[in-house]
Amino acid sequence: MSNKLISVSKLKKSFGGLKAVDVDELSFEEGELTSIIGPNGAGKTTFFDLISGFQNSDSGEIYLKEKNISNSQPYKIARMGMVRTFQLTKVFDRMTVMENLLFSGSDVSNESFVKSIIKSRSQKSYENDLKQKASEIMDDLNISHMSNAYARELSGGQKKLLELARSIINEPEILLLDEPLAGVNPKLAEDILALIKKLSDSGITILMVEHNIEAVMKISNRIVVLAEGSLIADGNPNQIREDKNVIEAYLGKDDE
Amino acid sequence: MLDQLGNGLLLGIIISVASVALSLLYGVTRIVNFAHGEIIALGAIATLFFSSPVDYRVLFLDKFSPLGLNFAFSCILAILVCGLFGGLLEVLLFRPLRKGEVGNIAVLVVTIGLSIFIRHLYLLFATGRVQNFPLELERRQTYLFFDMTPRNFNVLIAGIVVMSIVGLLLTYTRLGKAMRAVRDSEELSSISGINSDNIILFTWISSSMLAGLAGIFQAVINDVRWNMGFLILLLIFAGTVLGGIGTSFGAMVGGLLIGILVQVSVGLPFMEGHTEAKNAVALGIMILILLFRPQGIFGKKERIS
Amino acid sequence: MTEKISKRVIFAFVITSLSIYLVFVLNPDGALRILLNLLTFAGIYGLSAIGLNVHFGWTGLLNFGHASFMGVGAYVTLLLMPHAAGREGEVTSTGLPFLVALIIGIMSAALFGLLLGLPAIRLRGDYLAIVTIAAAEIFRLLVRDLESITGGVYGIINYTENFQQYRPMFIDKFSESNAFSPSQAWVCLAAWVSILLTVLFLKRLNNSPWGRALRAVREDEDAVRAMGKNAVWLKLQSFMLGAGIAGLSGVLLAFNYGSLETTVFVPLLTFYVWAIMILGGVGSITGPIFGSILFWVIISETDRLAYLLFENANGQQLAGVRFLLVGLLIMLLMIFRPSGLLGKKEELLLDVK
Repeated sequence: MSNKLISVSKLKKSFGGLKAVDVDELSFEEGELTSIIGPNGAGKTTFFDLISGFQNSDSGEIYLKEKNISNSQPYKIARMGMVRTFQLTKVFDRMTVMENLLFSGSDVSNESFVKSIIKSRSQKSYENDLKQKASEIMDDLNISHMSNAYARELSGGQKKLLELARSIINEPEILLLDEPLAGVNPKLAEDILALIKKLSDSGITILMVEHNIEAVMKISNRIVVLAEGSLIADGNPNQIREDKNVIEAYLGKDDE
Repeated sequence: MLDQLGNGLLLGIIISVASVALSLLYGVTRIVNFAHGEIIALGAIATLFFSSPVDYRVLFLDKFSPLGLNFAFSCILAILVCGLFGGLLEVLLFRPLRKGEVGNIAVLVVTIGLSIFIRHLYLLFATGRVQNFPLELERRQTYLFFDMTPRNFNVLIAGIVVMSIVGLLLTYTRLGKAMRAVRDSEELSSISGINSDNIILFTWISSSMLAGLAGIFQAVINDVRWNMGFLILLLIFAGTVLGGIGTSFGAMVGGLLIGILVQVSVGLPFMEGHTEAKNAVALGIMILILLFRPQGIFGKKERIS
Repeated sequence: MTEKISKRVIFAFVITSLSIYLVFVLNPDGALRILLNLLTFAGIYGLSAIGLNVHFGWTGLLNFGHASFMGVGAYVTLLLMPHAAGREGEVTSTGLPFLVALIIGIMSAALFGLLLGLPAIRLRGDYLAIVTIAAAEIFRLLVRDLESITGGVYGIINYTENFQQYRPMFIDKFSESNAFSPSQAWVCLAAWVSILLTVLFLKRLNNSPWGRALRAVREDEDAVRAMGKNAVWLKLQSFMLGAGIAGLSGVLLAFNYGSLETTVFVPLLTFYVWAIMILGGVGSITGPIFGSILFWVIISETDRLAYLLFENANGQQLAGVRFLLVGLLIMLLMIFRPSGLLGKKEELLLDVK
């Protein structure tokens, strides 16, 4: 397990008799851009939940950077460098866009109770640097004009951008993207896709759950296919395109 | 400890019936009704008013005379009054709140305000005096492992019978199934043709009737006071939590267990001279359960946190 | 977010001033004495409500055992100073200086918050409510039964001198010319100074990274975790903060009464504080101040109402009418104006399902 960044072994999760995930062996290498696809109910989001700690597995093991993180708490896993987004976009509604980013980019120690009472100069300069960083990211994503708006006022697409911005501001090593293109208009989808490619090129390991097959084919190094909780195919886009099992599972390919 | 078993069973049956009522309501409406205690008290107070001898000074500051009716008849009448009260609460208060999409937390605080309001209405009109039903005193007799008065024994049996009937009705009738369907999903059940408003109304009425019955039991076994509902409300919560929130069978068993635990704990060594703190034991147990096995004995593992 | 002078604040000021004026109108003699009493209670309860607001308004925690935090603060502080307790009035003549005892008392309240919060903070809203009520009840029963320590139902007396000895001369002079009690005036002043300091402290925290993190927890805990922050620990800290503030208010309440026993820190106290917090506006730091003053004017003038309804109303009936109104107030507010006087409708948590 040398440069396997993430690996799972005999991972199982059921909900009251219904099998959600049942994966024997699966691992991801550093720097890969892997898409996880499969019909609805295939267990993709549950898989994300399991490896990011938001759900506990029934059995099996999960390794992150060779550490066993099975059933670890989500915030600890996030601190190890793995950040995720959610199927239902999560932004902090009653905080401004800037505050959303400041919070996300802030170190835990910066937010300590004592430090916040003292309000030292070092905290002030840390916050200033953070503001800089946030502004840059907002510029990159073209949401600077919304900096002082409450996040709940954003459109669906803008919320997705905000969630993305939030996820990258603390420079994660691994990014788990849960349906980043869902419900987004084609132009914005293109921009988001380009951003994802850029992030991947810069060295971030990306796992992406997506239904937009065209997009998936375009940018993924590798595609993993889940159906009914199990792995049914794993390979590069061309291999997957030809794979009989995949075609069968989908009963005809989705075209976005 | 065994001599407390009788007391424990009696306390247990009161809590049991009340817990089933609360659990039914919570199961279908997802409301934790803090005013539940006041409906329990209503059963007792109404029975007192209906059955006490005419011109006997009991309630309403001497302005109204009790009705002097037959005791059994009074009980039935009182239970019906409770059902009516519950129905009115649903139609006039909780349905508008539900339609207005008021959140569960707000509704919870409303029920707390409601309970304070009603309880002090009782204080004003039923007074702070401790009163009893117009029944003769009886002597205790021995039944199996415990002794109690014949009347109390009848209460125990009546309670068990009532709950068995409730359990059967819930499990095997269409109405019961409909109630469970609304509990699981209001949207889905309305699609399948179940009128959730009616089901919820029915639940309020039947839950209130059961609560009233619990109040009558409590008054027979102990007495009638303005805050009798509030006094056992926490124990009812404990019973419901112990048995498993949302399952009526669990509430039944949990209620009985809590009652027994409370009374039996009086006999424990560290409780010497601190018998008033017996409630604390039950509450402590409830807290422990919420921490380590929040679904209780029989409940499903739903989102507790 | 900083609260600018908005229409809402002006409205709150006006209503509060009107209500104080009402006190003068309805009480031609002794208005000042009544007003002092009212302001003292308003200050103490207002401080407690500010603490509760940290729990509910800032963090969305349903705490219905607030009275027990006040109680812990009061009992610990008092027991560490010279006092007399129990049926025999057993005297303890040594103790710690007032400020030291107070600080320990406040920290004990915060610690109690930690102890209660550690297991309970993860529970969903309605379960947390039940647990906090249960914990408060256990506290009350323990206090009543541990008579050798707490004085049980006989309570604690002879402790006020520890605080009154610091009373400055100007208070005595001021009280004399206005015919009210100097010791209460001193407590009143202390209460309002405490409120001022607490409000400043909370405003500082609110506009800080910590305050920001807490707001994020209130918005979406999962997203907070996904950012590597420990949401549970943040909630615990907020719980401790609110508990500490409540502890301070409990001490002030004890000094206002002059004697302390088991009927003081009871659920009814918690409900009063809740009513005040909702009235003042959930989530607003200064809201509880206005809510408290308004609330106490309403409550103290309801005695008038009670006399109208019942000739020669006895104590029980007065209490009955009073609580009737509290219950009604809580209900009506939650239904029709959950944002209270100063709460922001957009910031309401009450639509959480």
